[in-house]
Amino acid sequence: MLDEKGSHKLLMGNEAVARGAIEAGVHVAVGYPGTPSTEVIETLSRYAEQADMHVEWAVNEKVAFDIGAGVSYGGARCLVTMKSAGLNVASDSIVSVAYGDLVGGLVIYVADDPGLHAGMEEQDSRIFAAASLLPMLDVSDSQESKDAVVNAFSYSEANKVPVIVRSTSRVAHGKSPVVYGHIEKVGRKPHLERDISVYTRASPVWCMQQHANLNRKVDALTPLVEKDHNELSLRPGQRLGVVASGVSWNYLMDVVSRRGLELATLKVGSVNPLPVNLFSRLVAQVDRLLILEELEPYVELRLKAFIADQPRKVAVLGKIDGTLPRVGEYDYDLVEKAVLKLIEAPEASDPELASRRDEARKLAPRRSLPFCPGCPHRGTYTALSQALKELGYEKGEVIVTGDIGCTILGMHPPFDMCWTEVSMGASIGLAMGLKRAGVETPVIAAIGDSTFFHAGLPPAVNAAWSGTPVVIAVLDNEITGMTEHQPSPASGFNALHQPVDVVKIEDMLRASGIEKVSVVNPFNLAESKEAFKDAIQHDGPSGVVLRGACALVARRNRLTGPPSHVDSERCTGCLLCVRTLSCPAMEEKEGKMSINSDTCEGCGLCAQVCPFQAIQGGDQ
Amino acid sequence: MVKEYNILISSVGGQGGITLARVIANAAISQGLNLRVGETLGMAQRGGAVQSHIRLGDGVHGSLIPSGGADALLSLEPSEAVRVGTYLGPDTKVIMNTAPTHPIPVMLGQATYPSLKEITSALEAIGCEVNALDAARIAREADAPRSLNITVLGAYMALGEEVLTEDAVKDALKRSLPERYLEQNLRAYEKGFEALTR
Repeated sequence: MLDEKGSHKLLMGNEAVARGAIEAGVHVAVGYPGTPSTEVIETLSRYAEQADMHVEWAVNEKVAFDIGAGVSYGGARCLVTMKSAGLNVASDSIVSVAYGDLVGGLVIYVADDPGLHAGMEEQDSRIFAAASLLPMLDVSDSQESKDAVVNAFSYSEANKVPVIVRSTSRVAHGKSPVVYGHIEKVGRKPHLERDISVYTRASPVWCMQQHANLNRKVDALTPLVEKDHNELSLRPGQRLGVVASGVSWNYLMDVVSRRGLELATLKVGSVNPLPVNLFSRLVAQVDRLLILEELEPYVELRLKAFIADQPRKVAVLGKIDGTLPRVGEYDYDLVEKAVLKLIEAPEASDPELASRRDEARKLAPRRSLPFCPGCPHRGTYTALSQALKELGYEKGEVIVTGDIGCTILGMHPPFDMCWTEVSMGASIGLAMGLKRAGVETPVIAAIGDSTFFHAGLPPAVNAAWSGTPVVIAVLDNEITGMTEHQPSPASGFNALHQPVDVVKIEDMLRASGIEKVSVVNPFNLAESKEAFKDAIQHDGPSGVVLRGACALVARRNRLTGPPSHVDSERCTGCLLCVRTLSCPAMEEKEGKMSINSDTCEGCGLCAQVCPFQAIQGGDQ
Repeated sequence: MVKEYNILISSVGGQGGITLARVIANAAISQGLNLRVGETLGMAQRGGAVQSHIRLGDGVHGSLIPSGGADALLSLEPSEAVRVGTYLGPDTKVIMNTAPTHPIPVMLGQATYPSLKEITSALEAIGCEVNALDAARIAREADAPRSLNITVLGAYMALGEEVLTEDAVKDALKRSLPERYLEQNLRAYEKGFEALTR
């Protein structure tokens, strides 16, 4: 990652972004974990000391961006990373900072997720370029990811404006070759001249001036960006053209290579400003254009508006005429079909072979994501289920509002616990709202430690302030689990794996004004069940912190117990353990339970639920 | 010179599919091949279906294999072979571990797991050449129970596809995996190779 200029490496898009930050001499890199953006900070954290860079995980994306703005105001360079949902969290500050002038370069890296490999929304963050007015680059492979970051820093610093580099899952997680460039050494001269007409939005007169300045800065970038991030191939006589952005460009190149086609092509790598001069040359010659871009018709709408102003008529194939979908990711086949439509060639598919492929696919059984063997959340939801039963509630009668991260997997069978998943920290506000709507049964918010620190604190204060009787269950596995184990303030270490003090969730809950707070071990079902019963019966808001290490982290640190085992004499084969816990380490062998000793972490939950004492092991 | 050669790896999280993709990619790099690798990352949990697309050759651009475009499928689990049916075609050579990993819905009787015969017939109906081996057992017998993935790699190399060289693959094993597991992995590789050579 620190090799000199000219090295060739196979890098993931996110690793290439990290290399770009190193080449740009970035002083500070900060982000919040979110698929598919996480590996940028992960990578930089491994090289932070050698690269003389401060690297940290922030509690959320807004805090990350605010730190970034401060770094820039202080005269240094900062990269801020997030997933698309995180951009929404940070947007309040981004739109404001866009107005004033920056000092050091400030680049925001945001990764969208067309096709939803990580769940949640298929947000097209390109639209944020229009909302914030900020320059935005869009990338299609690892080389472009690196180059975009390096260039974005130079644009940002020269024009005193934040620049956004936008990627998508297939680019961020795909690997392709990268040629390294020169590593710039950027000096640090910390300073900030006090100028409230630039650094505050306190006067409408100043703000309108700042707004006008912002528009001018972005316009000034057009020639540079157009040249560096867009590619027009137009030969005399070509009447058919394709405009492609992001990963669609690669699928187009695959189609062109496999079919030996000759088409006019324009790669659009700048979302804002758009390459209007290249648009102009293209639409002056071609008769029919195909637009390839995932999610919203962002380029298509603007290109159509552009064409409307031209004397020539150019037909456009894209999303608006239904050639391509607005939902889901693109792939080779979709792009090939659209290109064949453009060139008016017959479709290539073989329906009989396609139906045989479908038949094969239908045989594959569903693999819902279970909790890992040894996961503390399995204990939490089992104990909660037992507590509700003992309090006389039927299964499915009590609402549990879920939250973002591994904790939401409690929505799956056999737990069937979580009812909702909205956004980071929303479980608590939703629970409060359900109570205010008049729900008489208990309402329980289930939230993980990292999510709690991200956006759970304000609603916890709100619950105490308004005295709303909700149970806030914080499933504290001491790590940000779903994104593969980045530290949270509950972890006791930072992004560089240096030890730091733990911020205790029970202290935060109590300081929020919630008086009834207990801390339990989720691997102890009896203890956890009693804590839930107490909290549910409490008159007013209450908190239960269920603290147990993430199984994958515990395994890595060799902290898991010896595997449990089944006494086949005692096992009746009732499979109550499977039906209650659904642990992937459980196997059924000849009508009896068996435990896979390679994958069992010895958490001991199965021994606690077996009515025949047939399972031994797991003293946590 | 290779224009386009596509290897698909299909597995269940925790079986080592991602590691196997890294070994193959490193072998391809050492042979100077142009390549693209596509993976779906971001869920730390074990037990989900995981696919890696490795595309080799001067004509490849995207990191996803076109439908029917896989030249080889390395499936570390039988039902995971049919799950990726989209990418298979009459030219696909399949190496399939026959030891199943049953999903929880199957254990709970809420879903059915196809028989090996059904899986093989479905693959053959597409026109694939199916090479099945109990890689889990072979790995255990080689005293390398966690090297199921490398056993399958050994079996693939026995096909003699003339894209990756044996030297490059063995060298990649050395460079891509922890040294303390190297001997286990080499044993697993050899046993996998023999299983399809016999």
